[in-house]
Amino acid sequence: MSAYLHCPLCGFEFEKRDTACVHGCPLGRFCKLVRCPNCQYEFSDRPESMGLLQRLFHRPRPAAVPRDALPLPELGEGESSELVCLDCTHASRRNALAVFGLVPGCRVVLQQKRPAVVVRVGETELALDLDIAREILVRRV
Amino acid sequence: MIAEAPILTASHPVILVGNPNVGKSVLFSKLTGKFVIISNYPGTTVEIARGNAAVGDDTVEVLDTPGINELAAHTDDARVTCDVLRDHPDATIVQVADAKNLRRALLLTQQLAERQQPMVLVLNMMDELDRCGAHIDARKLGELLGIPVVPTIATEEIGIELLKKAAAEVGAASPPRFVGFPPGRGGDAAPTTRLEELLTRANKILAQVHTHIRPRRPSFGQKLGWWATHPVKGLALLALVLYFTFWFVGLLGAGTAVDFCENVVFGRQVSPWAIRLVDAGLLFPHQHDTQESRFRLEIPLTPAHGIALHESTAAVLAPTYSYDPGAIPGWWTQAKRLAHDFLVGEYGVITMALSYALAIVLPIVTTFFLVFSILEDSGYLPRLAIMVNRVFRTMGLNGKAVLPMILGLGCDTMATMTTRILESRKERVITTLLLALAVPCSAQLGVLLAMMASVSFAAALSWLALMIVIMIVIGWLTARLLGGPTSDFILEIPPMRQPQLANVLIKTMARLEWYLKEVVPLFVLGTGILFVLDKLRVLGQIARLGEPLVTGWLGLPAETSNAFLIGFLRRDFGAVCLLEAATGPQPLLTPHQVLVAMITITLFMPCIATLFMISRELGRRTATVITLFIFPFAFLVGGLVNHLGNWLGF
Repeated sequence: MSAYLHCPLCGFEFEKRDTACVHGCPLGRFCKLVRCPNCQYEFSDRPESMGLLQRLFHRPRPAAVPRDALPLPELGEGESSELVCLDCTHASRRNALAVFGLVPGCRVVLQQKRPAVVVRVGETELALDLDIAREILVRRV
Repeated sequence: MIAEAPILTASHPVILVGNPNVGKSVLFSKLTGKFVIISNYPGTTVEIARGNAAVGDDTVEVLDTPGINELAAHTDDARVTCDVLRDHPDATIVQVADAKNLRRALLLTQQLAERQQPMVLVLNMMDELDRCGAHIDARKLGELLGIPVVPTIATEEIGIELLKKAAAEVGAASPPRFVGFPPGRGGDAAPTTRLEELLTRANKILAQVHTHIRPRRPSFGQKLGWWATHPVKGLALLALVLYFTFWFVGLLGAGTAVDFCENVVFGRQVSPWAIRLVDAGLLFPHQHDTQESRFRLEIPLTPAHGIALHESTAAVLAPTYSYDPGAIPGWWTQAKRLAHDFLVGEYGVITMALSYALAIVLPIVTTFFLVFSILEDSGYLPRLAIMVNRVFRTMGLNGKAVLPMILGLGCDTMATMTTRILESRKERVITTLLLALAVPCSAQLGVLLAMMASVSFAAALSWLALMIVIMIVIGWLTARLLGGPTSDFILEIPPMRQPQLANVLIKTMARLEWYLKEVVPLFVLGTGILFVLDKLRVLGQIARLGEPLVTGWLGLPAETSNAFLIGFLRRDFGAVCLLEAATGPQPLLTPHQVLVAMITITLFMPCIATLFMISRELGRRTATVITLFIFPFAFLVGGLVNHLGNWLGF
């Protein structure tokens, strides 16, 4: 599980600690809700707990991945590409990439693949794990 | 003015905020004239630095913060920045941006603007932007954002005055507004997250102010940066860097320079003069021994070869002396003898503490800090993270942890603080443990290198191999014990830059000053403890008590007990004591014993200061657990190596 939680209401991202309620609720640590320190909104950090309801009403469709998109490491070294989408499971990972400018539409140059992937976004050189790089889908330009 | 200054300082500080490695600290030191460590990698600053800057007639407090990429506390150093911003709601924010990476900076600008505080945007490193063949219209950018935009080249002090003026003006004006933004979303790809939305907006601004002409060919620095991360060329470059470091620190620093300082400066000048001076002041009947001091000035090539330039021998006074026990009657003479011994005796402040700290360790740390500062400023260290990422994965860490580890070779205490750049507590605990256990700091490393010179090259290699194996095994075990996922490896690589001589020298001097202030008193304290224990005749008893451990288990002579005893205070002090036993005309230790002693003392806790820092960063409980693990483990491994060596017949 990701170490960071993403508040669905205000979008604030925080670590899962000090997130319990403060009003002496008898449920104590058995409570499954976490509270966003920014907006005080309470939500469940384990979405699978609402399995049945979710299956009935909120069936998440697989994201439509364009045909010509391919994982970043499949490019050759030195090849330039345009980022199509981030196929990340964790919001925190997508956020971590976004702050370096890795968002759909940006130009990415793959500089090397071994021993770790190095990409160039604008004037930023970024070293990534191979499995993170695989989640970056790009289109050749 | 004088009455006004403190009020102004208290109410309207200036906070320097910005992405990592954009030059906030350079700007801070240029604004305030205060020294802060400046290097070329993200995460140099992990704590707030405060200073005062003169703006016009007023004095304004300036705060330097750790770099952040967004206004969220993912790591402990980012938390420091967020806390500072929260605690100073009335401060003027000076956002420092790398002009080459304006898009990322604008992301942060928008988040900062939401705080509704007076704000100035600084476009730093304009010279590097020029070299990239790009141009930014700062004036237009200022109009679009509605805040002053100041282009600077902080290292050359260009634009500093403009910035001071802008900060003073904006502090009095109304909060910033964003003008010229098309509100909401737009463009071809609909942004899905907030950050994407902010970046889309940043792109729109950039399109209006940024013009780019591609450079014709990559510079040498860029190419060197690529080689440094290449799987094959990178390893070759690493070997080259390591050999140069070994040559400069191990051979030139720990060999020639220490030889000169210890034998010529201290052995022939300082110690004999101190002895004569003390003898003249504190009269009691005794006769000092003389010893032979040999000195060979050479330019080393390898551990065994060198070009000898000069050789000399001399007979000098030694701290040991002979006297007739019956000839010292009365307490007054006894007291004088005690004072004499405290200053220039076997465990004397001048003959032991100062000669160890200034003649043996100081030349070593000086040479080390020089090389280290050059490496830091070149931007090579983060590239190392790429090379070792795979190995660090097995230890439950990622490549990022290489930064604190390498800094640990400078000083383990500072490095423990730098673990704040790591994302999870698990990674911080593992890195801290490995730092305390197996990463020798500069002082100790130098002493160890000198000890290695007295044994074979194979022994030195086996020491290195054992340390690496221990790090990997202990790291792996700790990762299993703590559980939890390892955080993602996403690391920004700074450009390779030519180190500036002035910065390298200033940084080295600052670190040496710190060394003299912090380490020398501890050496004196340690010597004082040894002196008292020796006079109370406890030292012999401790040696006897430690006999089963030191003599039985480690197979070392009982005289080395006090080295381990003092190693509890600072392990490099213990190492110096062992070095004294390992070298000299009649070495006390055999090569095999030197290896065992080296390994045991390397695995000790670095020093008292590191222990305090661990306890501050990770809590008292973790610090206790780490300590309780380290010392028995050190003796365990030392003993195992001893028995293995005996069994193999060394």
